[in-house]
Amino acid sequence: MKTEICSLLGIEYPIFQGGMAWVAEHSLASAVSNAGGLGILAAANAPVEVVREEIRKTRELTDKPFGVNIMLLSPYAQEIARLVIEENVPVVTTGAGNPGPYMEDWKAAGIKVIPVVASVALAKRMERAGADAVIAEGCESGGHIGENTTMVLVPQIVDAVSVPVIAAGGIGDGRGFAAAMMLGAKGVQMGTRFLVAKECVIHENYKQQVLKAKDIDSAVTGRTTGHPVRTLRNRMTRTYQQMEKEGKSFEELESLTIGSLRKAVVEGDVVNGSMMAGQIAGMVKKEQTCREMIEEIMQEAEALLGNR
Amino acid sequence: MLEKLISIIAEQLHVEETEIKPETDFKADLSADSLDLFELVMALEEEYNVEIPNEDLEQLTTVNAVVDYLKKKGIEA
Repeated sequence: MKTEICSLLGIEYPIFQGGMAWVAEHSLASAVSNAGGLGILAAANAPVEVVREEIRKTRELTDKPFGVNIMLLSPYAQEIARLVIEENVPVVTTGAGNPGPYMEDWKAAGIKVIPVVASVALAKRMERAGADAVIAEGCESGGHIGENTTMVLVPQIVDAVSVPVIAAGGIGDGRGFAAAMMLGAKGVQMGTRFLVAKECVIHENYKQQVLKAKDIDSAVTGRTTGHPVRTLRNRMTRTYQQMEKEGKSFEELESLTIGSLRKAVVEGDVVNGSMMAGQIAGMVKKEQTCREMIEEIMQEAEALLGNR
Repeated sequence: MLEKLISIIAEQLHVEETEIKPETDFKADLSADSLDLFELVMALEEEYNVEIPNEDLEQLTTVNAVVDYLKKKGIEA
């Protein structure tokens, strides 16, 4: 099944792999691209040389299109914005802010720009600024989240813009993919399912926690500070939520989470680490290759959608 | 004229008009987040029939800043 996003980006299947900080590196992104989806490297807070190296390694492993996700609050955002032009990266997705200032240069370089948006107004502005598509991300997602759910956000953004909309948040199988199509999306972005891909390099302990997670094992911390983050429940989230109830200061709360994503991803500390994952973790039960995942999802979806 | 601007801000940010003074900072005083500010800018564009590019959003931090910005565009808020 192909949609207009496939022809726009030159990919086989309209499935993006989310640009998860510390997780989305060259091994995962190249595997997703080789399987026909769009692999995405997360620039996160990494310095420009690290990201350059990741781009080059990805190119060694795949000749298919891939993207770089630029976290606009990164201290290196401006340098990374130039790097993707120098390195001829075909697709850029953006998060945590307003890519407005960079948009013209990227478009001039022929880069397809696809911002992640969490509201209709933002989607409209991004379209006006020249976005080729938008990713409408609901709060079922892991990591930093907005308030609207995918079910609510996607059709409203589909109605508001004429560029293709990619649905993200809470999608983990062919049923979710088909549902997103019914809401008017032209593709999906998934993060949580790819966390347990064989090619995903996160620590084995973290993977096991995702595989073991039940429907209710997701928690949101940071609602009180205005920066809500969804992770799997553990001692860190319990302590954090307790401290939030006690009205602890932003700095005290912050001290609990600094470096905590690295703890989970690299060290496998599933007690104090921040295991970012979406609500759909409860349904993610199999470690597979990216190709197995993508082909399974497409087969399920095509059966449901009757090859529309 | 400032009344119209204040009423737009009050409506978009869900605050009372009496809370809004010329020096009011949207983020610090009215707890607006980035999505709120996008809503506000969209409403300003519609009301004053002006295009506010994304590059300019960072300037629009307070009521006074909005007034000055619109003035530069030849609009009396």
